[in-house]
Amino acid sequence: MTHEAIDSGIENIGVRPPTADLQHRYKVSIRNLNAWFGMKQALKNISLDIKKNAATAIIGPSGCGKTTLIRCLNRMHEMTPGATAKGSVILDNIDIYDKKVDPVVIKRRIGMVFQKPNPFPTMSIYDNVAAGLKLNGIKDKRLIGDVVRESLEGAALWEEVKNELSKPGLSLSGGQQQRLCIARALAMHPEVILMDEPTSALDPIASSKIEELIHSLKKDLTIITVTHNMQQAARVSDLTAFMYLGELVEYGTTKQIFENPQKDLTERYISGKFG
Amino acid sequence: MTRLLDLGIDRIQNIIMDMAKLSEKSVTTAIESYEKGASTKKVIFEWSEQLRVLQDEVGDLAIELIARYQPVATDLRFIRSCMEIAYGFSRFGRYAYDIVDVLETMGSIANCDKSAVLEMSCTVREMIHTSVQALQSKDKNAAEKLYQMDDTVDALYRKYLREAITPYEKTDKRSFDPRCYISALLILRYLERISDHACYIGDSVHYIVTGTSSPRR
Repeated sequence: MTHEAIDSGIENIGVRPPTADLQHRYKVSIRNLNAWFGMKQALKNISLDIKKNAATAIIGPSGCGKTTLIRCLNRMHEMTPGATAKGSVILDNIDIYDKKVDPVVIKRRIGMVFQKPNPFPTMSIYDNVAAGLKLNGIKDKRLIGDVVRESLEGAALWEEVKNELSKPGLSLSGGQQQRLCIARALAMHPEVILMDEPTSALDPIASSKIEELIHSLKKDLTIITVTHNMQQAARVSDLTAFMYLGELVEYGTTKQIFENPQKDLTERYISGKFG
Repeated sequence: MTRLLDLGIDRIQNIIMDMAKLSEKSVTTAIESYEKGASTKKVIFEWSEQLRVLQDEVGDLAIELIARYQPVATDLRFIRSCMEIAYGFSRFGRYAYDIVDVLETMGSIANCDKSAVLEMSCTVREMIHTSVQALQSKDKNAAEKLYQMDDTVDALYRKYLREAITPYEKTDKRSFDPRCYISALLILRYLERISDHACYIGDSVHYIVTGTSSPRR
């Protein structure tokens, strides 16, 4: 009931509700994607199919274009002054770079979690999660309350904060703040969540909670995560893409990439022989 | 720059090569004992025990390397395969001991026809050597050659089994020395098992190099 109401609310504010297209094997298909910062080319002809309801890890050395790639997937890249992108990113059957597509709508369908937890500093835990709904015109307090609880449960944070929802988001530990940010993203019912080094600022216990969360979230969502931590990629992802100098070098199941990479460059990188 | 993992991989490789030499020596010595009637049970028992200890060492080291360094790709395949290869070499040692144990149990078999065992042992010794060489040179094609030799060994084994039954049916039982047939059959069986393990070592080398199972498996 709650989901239907939210989907209906989101439909009213311009986000397409799930359709039969979602049954398709791939959630996102990237075709010949190129990106630049001014004159400097950061991505070179990337083509990649992201499997639905799976966790895909993007690995590679610093500066290889991992973050640029995921920022292109919800049109955040173009918000950087001087940054441009060319090519196609097909979300279900819609090219998100089509002129008719509203980038704001895309950002609602494709949520993002950043390297450093960034809860809204002046807001309570509750308001951090509810903020997106309120900004999008949803006023039904009961509905908002349901979504806040559902999102915090989805982010495995509810049990820890249910009695202190009015406390500032910043009062939480780093790991809890990151899960709060995930809850904030979940409240918008995204279909895809992009995670840019989501555990790099967290201790091992908090990191393992985020990893468990990635595993449970992919039942309902498609997860794309950028990580420097190859063991984490091996643990949490179903598919792994290796990038180097703006190019996609190799893409395959995580088992294949980590057990039997087909490219020498991949083998050398994951074995710690360079990078 | 040497990776910390490389130090462990070098160590495991050295143990495996020590096992290769010792297991090859054990089988060769056991066959020579059969041929010449020498008593080598004690020394082969010691070698077999050494091989078992080294196999445990390889297993312990492999687990430590996986736990501490999370190896991937070729490193991971190599470490996994080393555990299987170490088991193979350990079995060579055990079958060598089984061969000399048969000799001691049977007593004198100096007058027996030894041609079947000696014929098969030539192929099996070549197989052991080939498997060790394949490991040293990372020869992914050795598995195919080993399987061809294994077919020869299997055929010899079946042929001797048939021959062993035939004279028992046709000849006077009083002139039949069971020690000759029993010792030959048991040793042929051990050699046939050594041949299988040599093939598995070839399979492991194929897996290390290509990441895929040997086509014959």
